[in-house]
Amino acid sequence: MAAADLSAGAGTVGVRSWIGTVLDFIGPDLRGPRAEAPAPPTDHGWISALSLLAAVAVFLIAAGQGAGRSGQEDLAPLLFWSGVILLVVPATLRISWPQVSRAERLALLFLLAGGLFFYKSIYSPTNFSDHDEFLHWIATDDLMTAKRLFMSNPLLPVGPDYPALEIVTSALVGVTGLPLFVVATLLLAILRGVFVGALFLFYEGITGSARLSAVACLVYMGCSTFVQFDTMFSYESLGIVFCMLTLALDVASKDFAEGPRLRAAGIIVLLLAALTVTHHLTAAYAAIYFVAVAVLEIARRGASRREVGIAVGLAVIATALPLAWMWARGNPVAGYLGPVVQVGWNSLVARFHDLMSSAKPPADVGIPAQPLATRLTTMLGVVLVAIGLATGFFRSLALAAQPGTAEGWRQIRALLDRRWRDGRIVFLTFLAFGFPISAAFRLTIGGWEIGNRMGTFVFLGVGLVVAVSLVHFWQAGPTRDWRRTMSAFALMIVVMGGVTAAALKPIRGPYRVGGDSESIEPMAIQTARWTREWLRPGNRFVSDRINRLLLGGYGRQDVRTDFAEGVSTGPIYESEKLTPDDLWTLTKSEVDYMLVDMRLSTSPPVLGYYFEPWERNDGTPLSPKALLKFDQINGVGRIYDNGWMKIYDIRGLHGRS
Amino acid sequence: MDGPDNRDLRAACFWATLVAIAVAASDDVFVRTIFGLPAALILPGYVLTRALGLKASSMLEYIVCMIGTSLASMVVGGFVLNIVGLLTPLGWATWLLTVVIAGSYMAARRHEPPALPRWSWPPGLRLRHAIVFALAASLTTGAYALAVHDEAKQQQFRYTEFWLLPSAGSLSLGIRSEEDQKQQFDVEVAVDGRPFAVFRSVEIAPSELWTRQIPVPQQTTPQKAEARLYRLKDMRLYRQVSALVPAS
Repeated sequence: MAAADLSAGAGTVGVRSWIGTVLDFIGPDLRGPRAEAPAPPTDHGWISALSLLAAVAVFLIAAGQGAGRSGQEDLAPLLFWSGVILLVVPATLRISWPQVSRAERLALLFLLAGGLFFYKSIYSPTNFSDHDEFLHWIATDDLMTAKRLFMSNPLLPVGPDYPALEIVTSALVGVTGLPLFVVATLLLAILRGVFVGALFLFYEGITGSARLSAVACLVYMGCSTFVQFDTMFSYESLGIVFCMLTLALDVASKDFAEGPRLRAAGIIVLLLAALTVTHHLTAAYAAIYFVAVAVLEIARRGASRREVGIAVGLAVIATALPLAWMWARGNPVAGYLGPVVQVGWNSLVARFHDLMSSAKPPADVGIPAQPLATRLTTMLGVVLVAIGLATGFFRSLALAAQPGTAEGWRQIRALLDRRWRDGRIVFLTFLAFGFPISAAFRLTIGGWEIGNRMGTFVFLGVGLVVAVSLVHFWQAGPTRDWRRTMSAFALMIVVMGGVTAAALKPIRGPYRVGGDSESIEPMAIQTARWTREWLRPGNRFVSDRINRLLLGGYGRQDVRTDFAEGVSTGPIYESEKLTPDDLWTLTKSEVDYMLVDMRLSTSPPVLGYYFEPWERNDGTPLSPKALLKFDQINGVGRIYDNGWMKIYDIRGLHGRS
Repeated sequence: MDGPDNRDLRAACFWATLVAIAVAASDDVFVRTIFGLPAALILPGYVLTRALGLKASSMLEYIVCMIGTSLASMVVGGFVLNIVGLLTPLGWATWLLTVVIAGSYMAARRHEPPALPRWSWPPGLRLRHAIVFALAASLTTGAYALAVHDEAKQQQFRYTEFWLLPSAGSLSLGIRSEEDQKQQFDVEVAVDGRPFAVFRSVEIAPSELWTRQIPVPQQTTPQKAEARLYRLKDMRLYRQVSALVPAS
C-alpha cells in the first residue's frame, strides 16, 4: 500500500513536472526586455555587404535559370538554389538579430523583398508567364484599345467588375508611353516595396517594436503567396497593397487626436473604396479585419466612445462598400468563388473521410511532384511555424494585455475580463488559427486554391504570433544560448519554406504539356502573333488552356472557352469522332477558328488538365487521331500548319467564310 | 498659394503641367517616363495628403501613404474618365493635372506648412559603401541582362510555318522558317482537286518570309483549295494546308 502510494506520488510529481514544462513552453510570460534596448547606429557596412551578396545571389539565380533553359539539369538546380540560399540566409539572420537598428532592419527587408521579386521576375524577364497575368494583360489591352471599362472577358468573367489594376496600368502606360509589360513590372516592383513598408509599419504600430515587426515581416515572407502569387500581374497584387495600407494607416493613426484621426480615416475610406473595385477577396479580408477590430473595441472595457465610433464607422464602410459594389454589378463574385469554395470544401471532407476509413484512398492523378529537398524544406517550414504558433499564442495574447496587469496567466485572465489595450493584437492572434486550416486545404487538389489564398490573410496573424514567440521566448535567453542561434536558423527555414512552396517548378526548363508557365515557349507565341498579323485581331477562337491565353494576349483574338453556351471546348477536342450533336454545335457556334496543338498528344498534362481545371484526366494523353479529326470535316480548312500547331477555319460550316 | 510655405504646391502644379505638355506634344518615351512616372505615383498622393493635413511619424509612413493615395486617385480617375469618354493618354494627363491643382488649392487653404518628416543624410554612410552599392546594382543589372539573353536564345522547337488564306478572288500563300538552317521546298497548289500552281525549289533561310498572292477565278459555289509543301532534302510531304475559296 505504501509502495503504491509512493509510486502514485512519483507519478503525480512526474505529471506536474511535465505540465510545468509544457506551460513553461506555451505560457504567456514575455521573456526578455519588453521595451527595446537602444539599438546601435545603422551599420552601413552590413547593408552594403549584404547588398553585394544579394546581387551575387540573383546572378546565380539568373545563371541557374539559364542553365535550366539550355537543358543542363544537373547544373541548373545547383546554381539556382545556391543563389536562393545566399539571398535568404544572410539577410534573414541579420534582420532577426537582436541588436540591429530600425533603419538597417528596414533596408535589409527591402533588399530581401527586392531580391525575391527579382527571383520571380527572371523566370520570364521579357514577357508575362503566369496564367492569371495573361488574363489581366488581355483586359488591360482591351481597356486601352476600346478606351472604356467593363469590357467582357470570357477567360475571367469576374474581372471586368474589378478593373483597378487595369486602370492604374493603362494610366501609367498612357502617361509614360512605355510598353505594357515594362509598366506592369515597374508597378509590381513599386507595389512590393509599398506592401513591405506598410506591413512593417503595421506590425511596428501594434507591437511598438521594430525588431518584432521585422521578424513578423520575415515570417510573413514564409507565406506561400508572398514570393509569387501576390507579385503577379493580377488584381490581388494591387488589392493586398490597398488592404495593407488601410491596416497600417489605421494603426498609425490610432493614437492621433480627433481631427487628425478623422482625416486619416478619410484616406482609409479612399483606400477602401479603391480596394472595393480592385479585388473581391482582399476587400473581404479588409472587411473581416475592420469588423473584428470594431467588435473587440466595443467589447473592450474602458474604450472611449470616439475610438468605438471610428472603429464601427470603418467597419461599416469596409463592409458596405464591397457589398454595394457587388449589388451594383449584379453579384458576379458568388458565381465565381462559389464553385471554388464548394469544390475545396468537398475535397477537404473527402480527404478526412479517406483518413478515417480503412480503405486505401485513390491515388491523386495529376499532382506534379517536387524534388525531395524542396518538399522537405516546405514541410519543415510548416512544422517550425506550428511550433512558433504553439509557443507564441499565449505570449502574443499577453502582449495585448493592458499595461500594469500582473505578469503570467493573470494577463490572460485580464483578457478574459475584456481588458486589452489593443483589439488588433487579440484578433491577429486568433487569426493565426487559420494556419492549420489553410494547411489542411493545401493538402487537397480541390482545396489547394482556398488554402493558398487564405494564407495571404492568415499569415498576418501567423507573422505576429511567431515573431512574439521568437523574440520573447526562443531568443530571450542569454546571448550565447543555443536557442538564440537555432531559432534564427529556424526563421531562415520558414522564409525558405515560403520560397519553395511558391512554385512547383521554379527553374525554367523545356516545354511541358499543360503546365501553365512551363508550356509557354516561343513557337506557340509566334503562332499567336501569326494570327494577329495574318488574320487580324478580334476573330473568335477556341483552343486549349495555354494557347487561348497566347491567342488572347499576343494574337489579340477574341478567345472563347465554350463553343456554345453549355458546350465547353474540351470534350469536342478529346473525342476521336464528332457526333452529330458535336457537328450541330460547330455549325451553330459563333467560333471562327480552332487552334489544335499536337503536343497535347505527347504526354498527360502536368497540372492534370488540358482545357479546364474541373476536367477529369486519367493520366493518358489525348490521341493524335482525336486532334486531327477536323481534317475530315467538309467546310473546315486547315489554314495554318507549323508541324505541331494547326489552325482550322470553321467559318465554312456556318456560311461565314 | 502665394505664401512661402506653398512653394512645394506651386512646384507640384508646375510639374503636373509639364507632364500634360509632354504627353500632348511628345512621343519621346524617355522624356515622358522621366517626368510622368514619378508625377503619377507621387504628386496626387502628396497634394492630397497635404490637403487633408495628414501627419506622418516617419518618412516610410509618409512615402507609402503618398504612393497609396496616388494609386487610389488613379483608380477614381479611371471611373471619371470612363464616364466622360476620355480614357486616353491626354485624358490621364488632364486628370493628373486636375487632381494636383485641386489638391494644391485645398492644401493652400489650410495655411499649414508641409508636414514632411525630417530626413537627414544617414550618418556613417561613406564613399566605400556607395561603391559597393553601385557594384551590387551593376551585378543585378547584369543578372537581368543574362536572363534576357538566355530567354532570347531558348528555342526548343525548330519549325516551318506554312499557310493558305482565302479571300475573294485570290489565295494568300506563305512560308516562314524558324529552322536552324536554309531549306529548299516545292510548293503545289490545287483547287477542287485540280493542279493550279507550282513553285519549284523555293529556298527559305532561317527567319525568312516567303509569300505569294494567287488569283483564283471565282465560282458560284465555294472551292476547296489545297497547298502542299514538299521538303527537297528528303522528298517528303512536309506540310499540308487547305482553305475554302468563297463563292462569288
